[in-house]
This record gives sequence, structure tokens and C-alpha cells, in this order.
Amino acid sequence: MQDNLNYQEELMDIYKNPHNKGKLNKPSVSVSKQNPMCGDEIKLDLNIKNGIVEDAKFEGSACSVSVISSSILTDYLIGKKIEEVKKLTKEDLLKLINLNLTTSRVACATLILSALEEGLKNYTKEIVKNYEKRN
Amino acid sequence: MKDTRKDFPILEREINGNNLVYLDNAATSQKPKQVIDSISEYYSNHNANVHRGIHTLSEEATKLYEDARKKVASFIGALPEEVIFTKGTTESLNRVAISWGLKNLKKGDVVLLSDFEHHSNMIPWMEETKVVGAKVSYLESNENGEITLDEVKKKINENEGKVKIISITHASNVLGTIVPIKEICKIAHEKGILVCVDGAQAVPHMKVSIKSLDCDFYAFSGHKMLGPMGIGVLWVRKEILDKLEPYEFGGGMVDEVSYEKATYTDAPVKFEAGTPNVSGAIGLASAIDYLENIGMDEIRNHEIELNKYTLEKLKEIKNLEIIGPKEAEKRTGVISFVVKNVHAHDIASVLNGFGVAVRSGHHCAMPYHRKHKISATTRISHYLYNTKEDIDKLIEGINKATELLG
Repeated sequence: MQDNLNYQEELMDIYKNPHNKGKLNKPSVSVSKQNPMCGDEIKLDLNIKNGIVEDAKFEGSACSVSVISSSILTDYLIGKKIEEVKKLTKEDLLKLINLNLTTSRVACATLILSALEEGLKNYTKEIVKNYEKRN
Repeated sequence: MKDTRKDFPILEREINGNNLVYLDNAATSQKPKQVIDSISEYYSNHNANVHRGIHTLSEEATKLYEDARKKVASFIGALPEEVIFTKGTTESLNRVAISWGLKNLKKGDVVLLSDFEHHSNMIPWMEETKVVGAKVSYLESNENGEITLDEVKKKINENEGKVKIISITHASNVLGTIVPIKEICKIAHEKGILVCVDGAQAVPHMKVSIKSLDCDFYAFSGHKMLGPMGIGVLWVRKEILDKLEPYEFGGGMVDEVSYEKATYTDAPVKFEAGTPNVSGAIGLASAIDYLENIGMDEIRNHEIELNKYTLEKLKEIKNLEIIGPKEAEKRTGVISFVVKNVHAHDIASVLNGFGVAVRSGHHCAMPYHRKHKISATTRISHYLYNTKEDIDKLIEGINKATELLG
């Protein structure tokens, strides 16, 4: 079978047993994002300490592309500096997950990235707010 | 039914090394070469702007455009002067909501919709009622995906005297359900309530007679019935149309213009300001010729037969749940389903590998999906050129998807 998106065995393994699935106890930041194309929703929890992502978890019902992408991205995030994570682009993520996606499926893969972007924005806002309160 | 496949050039395409199996007809249908040729013929030999020119080409273009209007009118059993060309169902429904709604609805009034409406028959009413202070209320479909007449009566009684219009689909684009428009019109009219019908999924698939339905507004699109994209129809009952104000202003729709004011010509041209989609209207007329040549009853019978076959085959697949009416006769050729633990997008992707085109998602009916806690469904929608072999290929693909992902 020829397919634009190859449902390879190793990827299906990730889909069936994704890493970092679940939620964090007291996350520094938590964001839910919806894909307007299908109504899928993914929630991303991050624990950030001293400018480093200590832990990351995701949950939600979603398609294989979205789950694989979330699993790989959360693996990547853990242990990274926030400044580094902020620089992550859509292209970086697509390279990271290495799926041969058609245009319509790219949105499935990047749903978790938009959750990450919004999460980091909220986190920064929170830090600034707390800083202003203290001063 | 006679084999029509040879008339559709696109069906010869190969997708991912397989012959194309096109099962996304509820989104748009394919076009027979007769329709494609009619558009090419217009641009090659008759192209000119309509209604104003004295020269031969303009007269020819005007005649072709107005003949198309007559053809549409006779196809749905209406008068040509009641047929307004629009760019599609969405524009037609917006025009009813905005143009008729703003003038005729007031604070406290209620617009009744079904809970499975397409966004295009939902959002225009939400926006319009916001402006005038009216309210949108919903008819609840039952567990078989149907709107019962009791539900219609119940909602009218609950909103005693407040319901001014029921705007409802003739056939659901998600469930396939055929809605009893004629009976709903009878109930509504007894209470002085108007009925607006979204016919986008009905006109391509069954004989529709406006006179027999006795509705007040009827909207549909050309591209779902073998015609080109960008042409649609809004039919309005003559008594209502005569009182309706134009919603766009410009060339072609005036009687007399001074620097201070303008007077307007009669319907339907009054509602078609600017250069109309002449080639679209001609393409639509050609599509109607094609459909009439086969016969709408023949098309409907083919659809029911294919529905029976498809429903039976789908039922054999483990963990697959069909959404909407269980009976083949209660549907158009639309069948949506979910497979436990396999996402609709994944099914559509695997099917694409088999050359099978289906749709996955919420099909512009997000509230219905949310209400029933379904994130996305896979929808197949067949038409006159689809065969049992197409369905076999579909089933093979779904089985592969469940094997890979389930």
C-alpha cells in the first residue's frame, strides 16, 4: 500500500503506547487546545523549575498523528531550557517527528505545538505579574 | 441504472496507485464531460455580459442565462421569477437570515432550527437574532437521528406565538436523515410560521417539488449536483419575494438612478446586482439536463440500493457504530460512522492509500458532534456513479485501518 502517511510499525507502537500520557499534579502551566478541523482536544501540562522543563504530560482523545507528535514533543521538552524550547518552530517539530504528512494532517501534528506556545506565553505573563507584585 | 462512469473524466484518475473511488459527494460531486463542455462552449462562443448589451453575443449570453433560470425553475417545480442565482447554499441562507430576518424579526421572536444543522444554516441565524434581540432554539433529533413531528409541535407550543420561522435542512449532511419538510410546513403554516429549507443535500439526490413541499424559502448549490462551483439558488415564494428589499446594490438591478436616489427593477434580477455567474448558471442547467436524462427516481433507487449494501457491509465490522437512521430508505447517500479507538482522520488517511476519498471531521456540524460526545466521524457519501465495487474497496480500507490502529 502506498500512502502519504506511512503507518509504520514503530510509529504505531508510539501511538498505542505513547510516552508522557496523563496529567501532572501541580503543573506550572496547563493549556488545552482544539483542532477546529475535527474537534480534537489536547491538554498539555508542564512543570518548570529554574527555567527548565522538569516534566511534561499530555492527554486527550486524538488521532495517531496528534498522539505521536505529542509523545515525541513531550519527550523532547523534558530537561530543556525554556529559552531553547521557545525557539522551537513548526518545521523543527515536523523534522523531529519525521512523518511524511499531507498538508491536511500537518494541523494534527502541530496541535501540541500550539498548546506549548500558548503555555509558554501564559507562563511568561504569570512570571511578569508576580515580579511586578513583588516590586 | 445505466453506467455513467465513462462520462466523468476524473474517475479515470489513479490515486496512490489505485483507481479513484470517490465517496465524498456530500462535499462536492464530480462533473460529467457534458457539464465541463457546456462551460467551455459558453466561453469559446458566447461570452459577453448579460442584460445590457445590444450586440449578438450579449443577447446570446442573456438568453443562455435566462434559459438556465427557467430550467432550474422547472426542475424544482417553481416559477422562473422566483429563482435567484447566488454563489451557493451558504449565500442563499445568509440572505434569508439577514435580508428577510432583519426586516421581519423583532425582540423576543424565536427561530427554530434542528440540532443537526450545517453551520451555514445556524451561524447566520445566530448573528441575525443577536442584532434584533430574537432567539435561536433547537429541535432535538431522536436516537434514530430523526426530527419527529411531535418534537416540532412541542417546540412551537413551548414558544407559544414566538416562533416566526423554522429553518431546517431537507437532508442532513452528517446523518443522511431525510426530514419530512412537507409535514413540517403544514404544521408551521397553521400557526403562521414560515419555513426555510436547506436543500443542498436533497436536490442532487431526489425529486424535489417546491409546490408540493409548500415551503417559503428553499436553498441549494450547483456543485453538489454535478454542476460547477460558485453557482447556487435561492427560491423565495412570490408573495414574500415581492416585499423583500434587495440586499446588494449596483449595476444591472436598477430602473432609474439620479445623483440622489435609485429605483429598482423586479425580482429576480433585483437581487442579482453586478455581473452574475453566467457560465455557472449554464453549467448548472447542463447538470440538470444530465440528471433528468437519467431520472431522479432512478438516481434515488440506486442510492437506496447502495445504502442497503453499504449499511450491511459496515455492520460486519467490529467496533463500528453507524450514526443516524438505521433504515436505508430514510437516508440520502450519506453514511457517517465511528470506530472505537480508531480516529476518523486515521481511517481517512489509510483509505486515501487505497485511492478511496472520504471525509473525516465534524462536517460543519460541531454542536451535534459535541452534544453526542463524538470528536470526529468518518463520512462516506455516494452518488449515481458509485458502485458496489467502490463499497468493497472502502470496506477493505476500513478493515486495514482497524487492523493497523485498533
